Amino acid sequence: MIIFEYILLLISVLILVSIIMTKLSNNLGLPSLLIFLAIGMLAGTDGPGNIYFDDFRLSQAIGVVALVFILFSGGMDTKWQCIKSAMSGALKLSTLGVVLSALIIGIALYYIFSFPLFEGLLIGAIISSTDSAAVFSILRSKSLRLKGNVRSLLELESGSNDPMAIFLTLVLIEAVKFQGFDLLNFVFFFVMQFGVGAVVGIGMGKLLVIIMNKLKLPNEGFYSVFAITYSVLVYSVTAILNGSGFLAVYLAAVVIGNSEFVQKKSLLRFFDGIAFLGEVTMFLTLGLLVFPSQVLNVVLIGLSVSALLIFLARPLSVFLSLMFSKYKFREKVLVSWVGLRGAVPIILATFPITANLQNGSYYFNIIFFVVLTSVIIQGWSLPVVARALKLLLPESKVKKIPIELDAEMSKSSDLVDIIVPDGSPVTGKPLAELGLPEGCLITVIYRDDEYIIPSGSTSLEGGDAIIMLLKSEHKQKVTEIFRKPL
Amino acid sequence: MKVSDILSENVIAVNLKAADKTESINKMIDLANKSGKILNLEKVKECVFEREKLVSTGVGKAFAIPHGKTDEITDIVGAFSILESPIDFESIDNEKVKFIFLLIGKDALLNAHIKLLSRISRLMNKDGFREKLLTAKNSEEVLKLFREEEMGYIDI
Repeated sequence: MIIFEYILLLISVLILVSIIMTKLSNNLGLPSLLIFLAIGMLAGTDGPGNIYFDDFRLSQAIGVVALVFILFSGGMDTKWQCIKSAMSGALKLSTLGVVLSALIIGIALYYIFSFPLFEGLLIGAIISSTDSAAVFSILRSKSLRLKGNVRSLLELESGSNDPMAIFLTLVLIEAVKFQGFDLLNFVFFFVMQFGVGAVVGIGMGKLLVIIMNKLKLPNEGFYSVFAITYSVLVYSVTAILNGSGFLAVYLAAVVIGNSEFVQKKSLLRFFDGIAFLGEVTMFLTLGLLVFPSQVLNVVLIGLSVSALLIFLARPLSVFLSLMFSKYKFREKVLVSWVGLRGAVPIILATFPITANLQNGSYYFNIIFFVVLTSVIIQGWSLPVVARALKLLLPESKVKKIPIELDAEMSKSSDLVDIIVPDGSPVTGKPLAELGLPEGCLITVIYRDDEYIIPSGSTSLEGGDAIIMLLKSEHKQKVTEIFRKPL
Repeated sequence: MKVSDILSENVIAVNLKAADKTESINKMIDLANKSGKILNLEKVKECVFEREKLVSTGVGKAFAIPHGKTDEITDIVGAFSILESPIDFESIDNEKVKFIFLLIGKDALLNAHIKLLSRISRLMNKDGFREKLLTAKNSEEVLKLFREEEMGYIDI
């Protein structure tokens, strides 16, 4: 029996090393998840770390929880306007696109490598969904801002195509096991996954906004804890009702992110952190889980499947799905190139193993290899490709108000927004010398599209918009200070 | 978002008649009500007059920008008018007011509210722009002038 403290030590060291190594991945322009996978593999059985880990069920569980956090965080950051414009394209990609991609891979494997048809299709299905963790982490990196609504399309697609991939995977596992399946039963399953996922997700998202605004919690930290637990609740409730938990979590987060409620800013920051922790933990675990020596055995077939996916299945399914939509040719090329595979396929690849399929671990290794190559090749080259396609935006600087106003405080009339008049006697003098009464505080200055946090030596300019804490008994005094002398 | 995005022809008035500050603000709020974004007119009036009590929003150069924040609106509301004859607004430079921009924001949209306030005051601070506005014959022309003036500015 391994002592518990050793396990904790190990986990913490692995996570800390991974975080430090993200600096390296940043410098190399590598997707950070690749570093996490690599560290997991190095720590694993075949690497110098020599840790034996082959618990597929535990990995599945970690993967699911991490994905919930990643999707929740990503969803909260997604603007409703972007979604509206990307909706129809994303829906086509996440339904038709997924089916086409699985079909193309399956048929190719059947004809070229003489795989049994159902097993070829199963592999196709498992790698048919793009991965939100990979797509979000690469698209959200600072250096990469895409033009138009391609980014929304890709993110929305990656957040909503998991149900279809999961559905196809489960159907095909049954098909491989019993050499056939009951179609009607699975159509029903599919409708439930989508329908229940959407309804519960949107409903529970709206509910959370109401709760957050009504609930007066004594400690602001509680709001974040409340929301994070709630995201797990959304997943589990939906999954128990036979809906797609991932879809529900994503939609709930979109609803929440586009509503206003107290403590929203701190919540967003908190979830950024939690999503990152989820990403690190998940990819470390998956790196530990795989045995690189076994993956090496599938290099040839793995490379072939990757090539099929990257150069045939993904582009073909994208162009067919988006045939009648408004996207430009080069946008479709980019969408084809961002067919990043990630955690979902690896987690799905554990399904055949836990379902005791004969060739389960063989598929797992192939899929792991495909994901690895997809992230390395497509992830790494994405900035170059986007630039070549002229779809990169210059870095913009849209400023957000740097302070968060408490629920209580912003309701009170004591917080005043004032515009500094041109030629007012307050301009050009350090704030400390204005003689503002005790209890009056200029909290923030907005000037030339920048927010400035003032100190005593800051001076005001005409046209500045300021937010001032003001006790009403001092208003006369303050007015006089701002007013031009007669 | 731009200032001209929150305006439309039906919330702009040229030659607005008002005898004093209170009447002008009331008329401005009635004008803003045509946007259909106001849920509770009384609450909106209350928040604007409450804010006005603290420090006058007559920021000088014949311009006033009464504003307030309330949840009784569906989205940020704006209204603009040019007065038929200037009125006293307890302005900071003690000059009479000819132009009024009313802005109703939401607590939850404080970021946009502050940016709009700043942008509006920056626009109205320009002597050339105020002169152009005085030549406008109807709300259509006023809106057009706002759009043109804002061309060079980034979205906020």
